[in-house]
Amino acid sequence: MAYSKLGEMLEKGEFVLTGELEPEKTCDLSHTIHEAKEMAPYVVGANVTDSPLGIVTINSMAASHIVQREAGLEVIWQLTVRDVNKLGIAGMIMGAHALGIRNVLSLTGDHPALGDVTEAKPVFDLDSATLCSLVREMVDKKSINGHEIECPPTLHVGAAANPNADPMGAEILKIGRKAEAGAEFLQTQVVYDLERTIEFLTEIRKYKVPILLGIFPMKSYGIAKGFDEFVPGVSVPKDILAQWKSIKKEITDKKDQKEAYDNANYEFFKPFITELRKKGLLDGIHCMAVHYPRIFPKLKSVIEDSN
Amino acid sequence: MVVITTKKPEQEVFDALDRYNVKKAVIVSCGTCAALCQTGGTEGLEEWTQKLEEKGIQVLSGIVSEDVCDNRVMRKDLNKIKEEVAGADAILTLSCGLGIQSIVKNMERFDAGKPVIIANNTEFMGMTERIGRFYMRCLGCGDCLLNETGGICPITTCAKALMNGPCGGMVEGKCEVGNYEKDCGWILIYNRLKEMGRLDLFEKLRPPRDWSESGHQREVVFR
Repeated sequence: MAYSKLGEMLEKGEFVLTGELEPEKTCDLSHTIHEAKEMAPYVVGANVTDSPLGIVTINSMAASHIVQREAGLEVIWQLTVRDVNKLGIAGMIMGAHALGIRNVLSLTGDHPALGDVTEAKPVFDLDSATLCSLVREMVDKKSINGHEIECPPTLHVGAAANPNADPMGAEILKIGRKAEAGAEFLQTQVVYDLERTIEFLTEIRKYKVPILLGIFPMKSYGIAKGFDEFVPGVSVPKDILAQWKSIKKEITDKKDQKEAYDNANYEFFKPFITELRKKGLLDGIHCMAVHYPRIFPKLKSVIEDSN
Repeated sequence: MVVITTKKPEQEVFDALDRYNVKKAVIVSCGTCAALCQTGGTEGLEEWTQKLEEKGIQVLSGIVSEDVCDNRVMRKDLNKIKEEVAGADAILTLSCGLGIQSIVKNMERFDAGKPVIIANNTEFMGMTERIGRFYMRCLGCGDCLLNETGGICPITTCAKALMNGPCGGMVEGKCEVGNYEKDCGWILIYNRLKEMGRLDLFEKLRPPRDWSESGHQREVVFR
């Protein structure tokens, strides 16, 4: 049974493309809506983040609802277990359904100690696996802790997978627990190393959960460098950094420079994704590059050309 | 096991004493856990006697009690100095949070309105590596998972106390909290179970912790 376009495409085995929206510390969602509208023709849906890095932003459920309403783009509501206990989360899931949200991504969430409200109580009553169990109980069994829900929610629940995890064995077994808990799709963290990706995806294929590979096309050299330096556990290959650096240095015309970055992303991701699809390891792509919606037509052609 | 305490900032203690306009005090110092943590014991008693006197607060009596947190011991020890207690404006205790509450409980029969001020912060139940190095490895959550996790507690070694770890905040076996300097508890568990040849236990999906019994005032009463 599919409750969303994403669910329907995955059920039919159609290759999907999802994007990501990162609302900020503001009550005004016009930028997010603008970005959502720009990516909407190319993606089946977009994730809406839940205070990443523990830095407080507008609530992700509210933002998800407004994006769906204003931009007509289906969302994958990111929900962390960081801030609300099981009782509260169960209520939010029903609320999200009532607001028209049909996909939720279960995440642990970055610890408050990392963010800008460091004194906040870290809740973590559930974890990213048991949140999947809760959603599935509410949707499939129409109950919470065995107590009947009069009008139950219908949402698909997904989970994250980290190909950069070291040791990888521990992450793989944890993904197994998420699968057992009822995760219906996996979105991976960003990875640039093809061999590692193949090894990781081959391992987690056994859980028979559709996999969306997380990619991060880099909009500029500055973003590539920042991503390499500041995202723990992820490194951007040196040759890529060098190539992006040369685009910055050698192409002065802004329009041409943009086009060069976009083309370089296409050239990098096309063989990467083609190889993974050839091996039958992917069901879709999740593009995490926020504030770079102009890349989506190119990504769409990556997908078309990699088939 | 030791209840680990650290010293409160001195000014905070003096502010608390000032709040009750304390001119005469009795000091009760813990000779067990706090002594080990160097926040109580004989040394702490001497230190605070001097500090109070420097501020013009007269110390009518100072005792080191071996079990401040044991209501029975505290009753006897307070009885021995009941006249000084009666004459004091407040009791200053160099103990843990259990110690002060044992004193308060006993003061119900001596003088229920007597302020009791504590000079320490209670940190956790600690495992001792050596004096000055104590680690929280048990939270006393009332529902030990240790038989399934190779004897390593995820509730205290995981910064998020997750029942199903590791989370995405783990990088090369280290935790995102504290700038990747501390070990990820779930990787400690993974490595231990791997050594034991029991990764099947790591695979297990664990339900959320049950707070129905432990989320409120807890007591152990067996007779």
